[in-house]
Amino acid sequence: MELKRYIGRRLVQIFVIFFVILTVLFLLFRLAPGDPVSRMVDPNLTPEDAALLIKEFGLDQPLLMQYLYYLKNFFTGHFGFSFHYGQPVVQIIWNRLPNTILLFTTSIILSALVGIFLGKIASWHKGEKTDICMTLGALVTHTIFLPWLALIMIWVFAYKLGWFPITGMITVEIWLDPQAGLWTKALDVLYHMTLPLATLFLIHFGSYLLIMRSSMLDTLKEDYILTGRAKGLSEKVIRDHHAAPNAALPVVTSVGLSLAFSINGGALTETVFTWPGIGRELVFSVSHNDYPLAQASFLLIAIVVLLSNLVVDILYAYLDPRIRY
Amino acid sequence: MALLVVENLSVGYQTQNGYLHAVEGVSFSLDAGKSLGFVGESGCGKTTLGMAVMRLLPSNGLIREGRILFDGEDLLTKTDEEMRQIRWQEIAMIFQAAMNALNPVHRVIDQITEAIYTHTPSHNKNEAHEQVRALFKFVGLPEDRMRDYPHQYSGGMKQRAIIAMALACKPKLIIADEPTTALDVIVQDQILEETKSLQREFGVSIIYISHDISIVADICHDIGVMYAGQLVEYGAREEVFDNPSHPYTKALLSSYPTLTGEKSQLMPIPGEAPNLINPPFGCRFSDRCTEASVSCKSNPSVWLEITPTHKVLCHQCGKHCGE
Ligand SMILES: Nc1ncnc2c1ncn2[C@@H]1O[C@H](COP(=O)(O)OP(=O)(O)OP(=O)(O)O)[C@@H](O)[C@H]1O
Ligand SMILES: [Mg+2]
Repeated sequence: MELKRYIGRRLVQIFVIFFVILTVLFLLFRLAPGDPVSRMVDPNLTPEDAALLIKEFGLDQPLLMQYLYYLKNFFTGHFGFSFHYGQPVVQIIWNRLPNTILLFTTSIILSALVGIFLGKIASWHKGEKTDICMTLGALVTHTIFLPWLALIMIWVFAYKLGWFPITGMITVEIWLDPQAGLWTKALDVLYHMTLPLATLFLIHFGSYLLIMRSSMLDTLKEDYILTGRAKGLSEKVIRDHHAAPNAALPVVTSVGLSLAFSINGGALTETVFTWPGIGRELVFSVSHNDYPLAQASFLLIAIVVLLSNLVVDILYAYLDPRIRY
Repeated sequence: MALLVVENLSVGYQTQNGYLHAVEGVSFSLDAGKSLGFVGESGCGKTTLGMAVMRLLPSNGLIREGRILFDGEDLLTKTDEEMRQIRWQEIAMIFQAAMNALNPVHRVIDQITEAIYTHTPSHNKNEAHEQVRALFKFVGLPEDRMRDYPHQYSGGMKQRAIIAMALACKPKLIIADEPTTALDVIVQDQILEETKSLQREFGVSIIYISHDISIVADICHDIGVMYAGQLVEYGAREEVFDNPSHPYTKALLSSYPTLTGEKSQLMPIPGEAPNLINPPFGCRFSDRCTEASVSCKSNPSVWLEITPTHKVLCHQCGKHCGE
């Protein structure tokens, strides 16, 4: 079937892109001025432990060999030890990944769905109050400086009103309480997630709303919309069943395109709200010269973005039969 | 009783440069089971006329005056909801831009059954599918392509699918707006044949819009010739074709090769159609007419009955015919 071929092709592309990223990262970390050993090996280690690590990463070998070691270590999951935590990097990353995915995907999906829905309504009321309010709102939230918004959110909703916690992802007492069920724990996470989620959502939904709105306005001029009217379909069916599915396609594309850029905001949001995710780890490791952790965080973020892109592509193919067949 | 009677219909568009008189004082009637063709050059108001009957004009379009009686009821007094019921159930339309008339994200069969379900909600899935199968057979589309998406069809197949769709609710009237313009001559011929047989088998009335008078003459019982928003000649096919009376009709006939293959001298009509925002007071064709006199430009033209089934909107004809 065509869809399989399409996904297969995308997988190959993704693999190639990933390989390029892998190589660039290697070069970036090795060719930067300074001693590579000092970057991969914690200066506080005993000389014996250090020697072991140097051997494992092939740091005493020529560059090409180092690269092969690097690949081997990557595919076997050896990223070295974090200077700061003194733990294997893989372990740290592995713990942080689900938190990032939870916050990131939820915010993307939420902002895309709400953006599509509101954009549809706005286009339907083009030029009326509803439309003007929505468009203005979208423009304003879209252009707000994210760290500022995050701080305002904390100041208003956590500090002043006290509705939400200021930091973190869980309430430790609840998670230590053996009586607490899964449901209670989930609600606790949701409670902590509300502010960072709201921040990311506010930053992102505006652009999706604007794209959907203009795409709807274009779609409504299409001939098949006229056919729908001639068929005696109700305006609601025409809007929701005929115009919206076509108009949403550019939004899906834009979600895919914006994924890589939203990493930035994701990392900032995680940092401001001390959300224990990879983005925060990245910011932290870079500012603390924790090279092994930084390298692994970069790689993982690249993987997350590439895979989400794949998901978006599959979704697109599912929505647009011209790609599927 | 006539199925459709249009009386003194005037339609226009609000544009940046002012009000554009796209259709002016058009009257005609169409009996059940008969077909009527409208011809005229690009921009003369054919599509506007068709859209007005469906009440599907764009938002800047306005029906200024006139009556559209369908089955004895004035469509212009219907509410939007009543009109919605009439569309496709009573009057279906085949659009000029058939290539994009099907929604790319839905299967062809679903787009046809959608029309059936909308107007006969009692139909179950099997009945509706059976009906689509029969329609596909009728328009000569292979049944196993029913579940395809529109982009998997060729232009001709799309056009047939749309004809099948137009028949789905067994309407009394189909308005076909240049359904074959984008197709090659062979497919065009096939579709024309189908249109004729559709009329025989379903007894449906057809309004056929085209800029090609030979096509219209091939299909339709009656012909209406339009020029610059006005109907200028109207009558039974044989009479209009054999005895074209309006100078514009004559020019049209001589600017197309006949279907029978006789080669006649092709005569392009010199000049341009008048501006429809400020149409001339007198005869609108007078600037391009070889037979025009001074009185043509200074007086609005009047209808002249040549026979009970043949009329023409021209000053000069009166003199000629009277001679
Ligand atoms: N939406 C619109 N807004 C303003 N003017 C319009 C609009 N649609 C059509 N017109 C004008 O109305 C006149 C009649 O247009 P119409 O589309 O009915 O012509 P037509 O006979 O169908 O032409 P064609 O053979 O090219 O399809 C033209 O002068 C056109 O410019
Ligand atoms: Mg037209």
